[in-house]
Amino acid sequence: MANRTVIPFGPQHPVLPEPIHLDLVIEDEHVVEAIPSFGFIHRGLEKLAEKRDFTEFTFVAERICGICSYIHGMGYCQAIESVMGLEIPERAKWLRTMWAELSRMHSHMMWLGLLGDAFGFENLFMAFWRVREGLLDIIEETSGGRVIFGAAKVGGIRRDVPDDLLARIPAQLAKIEAEMRPITDVFRDDFSVRQRLCGVGVLSQKDAYDLGAVGPVLRGSGVAVDTRLEGYAAYDRVQVEPIVESDGDCWARAMVRIREVYQSFEILKQVLPNVPAGPVDMKVTGAPNGEFFARLEQPRGEVIYYVKGSGKKQLDRFRVRTPTFANIPPLLKMLQGCQLADVPVIVLTIDPCISCAER
Amino acid sequence: MTKHPLKMTKVALENLFQKPATVPYPAVRKPVYAATRGRIAIEEAKCILCLICDKKCPTGAIKVDRPGKTWAIDRLLCIQCGYCVEVCPKKCLGMENLYSPPVSAKAMDVVNVPFTPPPPKPKPPPASATPAATPAPEAGKE
Amino acid sequence: MKLFQKSPWIIHYDGASCNGCDIEVLACLTPRYDVERFGIINTGNPKHADILLITGYINEQSQPVVRTIYEQMPEPKVVVAIGICATSGGIFRECYNTKGGVDSTIPVDVYVPGCAARPESIIDGVVQALAILERKKKEMAARP
Repeated sequence: MANRTVIPFGPQHPVLPEPIHLDLVIEDEHVVEAIPSFGFIHRGLEKLAEKRDFTEFTFVAERICGICSYIHGMGYCQAIESVMGLEIPERAKWLRTMWAELSRMHSHMMWLGLLGDAFGFENLFMAFWRVREGLLDIIEETSGGRVIFGAAKVGGIRRDVPDDLLARIPAQLAKIEAEMRPITDVFRDDFSVRQRLCGVGVLSQKDAYDLGAVGPVLRGSGVAVDTRLEGYAAYDRVQVEPIVESDGDCWARAMVRIREVYQSFEILKQVLPNVPAGPVDMKVTGAPNGEFFARLEQPRGEVIYYVKGSGKKQLDRFRVRTPTFANIPPLLKMLQGCQLADVPVIVLTIDPCISCAER
Repeated sequence: MTKHPLKMTKVALENLFQKPATVPYPAVRKPVYAATRGRIAIEEAKCILCLICDKKCPTGAIKVDRPGKTWAIDRLLCIQCGYCVEVCPKKCLGMENLYSPPVSAKAMDVVNVPFTPPPPKPKPPPASATPAATPAPEAGKE
Repeated sequence: MKLFQKSPWIIHYDGASCNGCDIEVLACLTPRYDVERFGIINTGNPKHADILLITGYINEQSQPVVRTIYEQMPEPKVVVAIGICATSGGIFRECYNTKGGVDSTIPVDVYVPGCAARPESIIDGVVQALAILERKKKEMAARP
């Protein structure tokens, strides 16, 4: 019988990007069990919805997470619009789709870099982040912010994007795509990358489904679920196929994200020429009365917004179920039986966004 | 296993002979875009001290003092959302492209506004008498 | 830059932020802004660090962590609060779990505004912090 040791891991740890605490029960370098503890970033912003005007709460919703900020704001607005029965202008729908895809790409590229850093491949980290800056330039030029877009608004979008700027974006994206290819090829073919990722942290298809995994974690285990198929914003008019890998290990999850970046390039090629002319927002009068669930696909997976209003300016209840929260039980399953040295990489492959998870 | 063992070496060598991606920041500044949200600026001549920005600011960063005739903003509380710019009825607030510099002490940015608010309308003395008179017919209707 | 007499090392802790400022701090280390050209290295170990970069505000649970990191850092040390949450609590100021900005727990030397703080702002803030670090070093040397 080997000795059992409990190693506290986090919240501040050299290899952890974010404050999460795990108590790892170790038996001879193998993790037997991982016990998470939370609350380092809990803000209690759901309660804030009771104090704020529902239109002003958009700013809070955008700041649930700084990485998928736009999709949070958009999801909140979408939920409110559904409660109030608003049909937003077409141009706003298409521009929302554009920003949602840009934000997915910047999040995935950031994550691919961080994963490279986690297994000690610093050159990859720098390469991905260098290419990502080009995307941030497009985001800043269109929305005005680098990470917090500030473009979501109940009833449309807060700022219009000039047509000449929209016409320029495809060329910029083509340049970024050309820069991406050689680096993602390294990810796919490099011996040391495969050595660190293949067969590590395997999550079977059944476990992924039963434990309620979402997003790339679920698709990396071979379950084809993508909330974009629900057809919110302009997704009902673009071609979206869920990207599925069957291995369920860290490498499969990385591959799902790499292929999703390229899928986003394809989606943007469909979106950008089709943005119709017209107004971008509409006047919103009255207050939400009723309740609604909005489901959207974030870079990390499916996010659920629940809003409940009773005809007042302040909402009665606001609830958000973020993808990282749903991915914690699968993470604990993946950690069972892995080696201690693989823990940082496995934690990173669910793309943990603790500020999302704890709100 | 690997078909192209020297892929990263190729990328690294290409990077070595490329123009650096780095913007040598304090010496050279990357041009900001027209849309960039930087800091809130006020054209004090146009301000009418209407208090709407004060009330609407999501963080309460703007403080308008009507009697003291000042408009003040806490740069360390402003989240650059631009909501005040949207709601300003006189369009005297604007979003500059440049961000506010780091500071080592907290202070409000106070601007004196030349606008003189019109004196509050004196309430006519019979005003107190009229409300008392109005409920009576309403009660009668019911 | 003559300001950079030594190579200061930084440690970054995410107090309770939305990650927006965190990824901008990381962006400072990557090719576009690359603070390593000044000899600045991001270290995970508080005992190696001269400058503490904190993003996000303080809550009940992160307070002891921040205090521990601050106490572990060797003198002289400088604290830079990055982003509106760290400087004042920002939009989450009225949340029930907020204790306010970083200055509610440890002394802050430089406040970097911005939501999210831009990499240029962060570099400016670190440059100011270095001047303070130099001053503190001289003060330490003058002490008996």
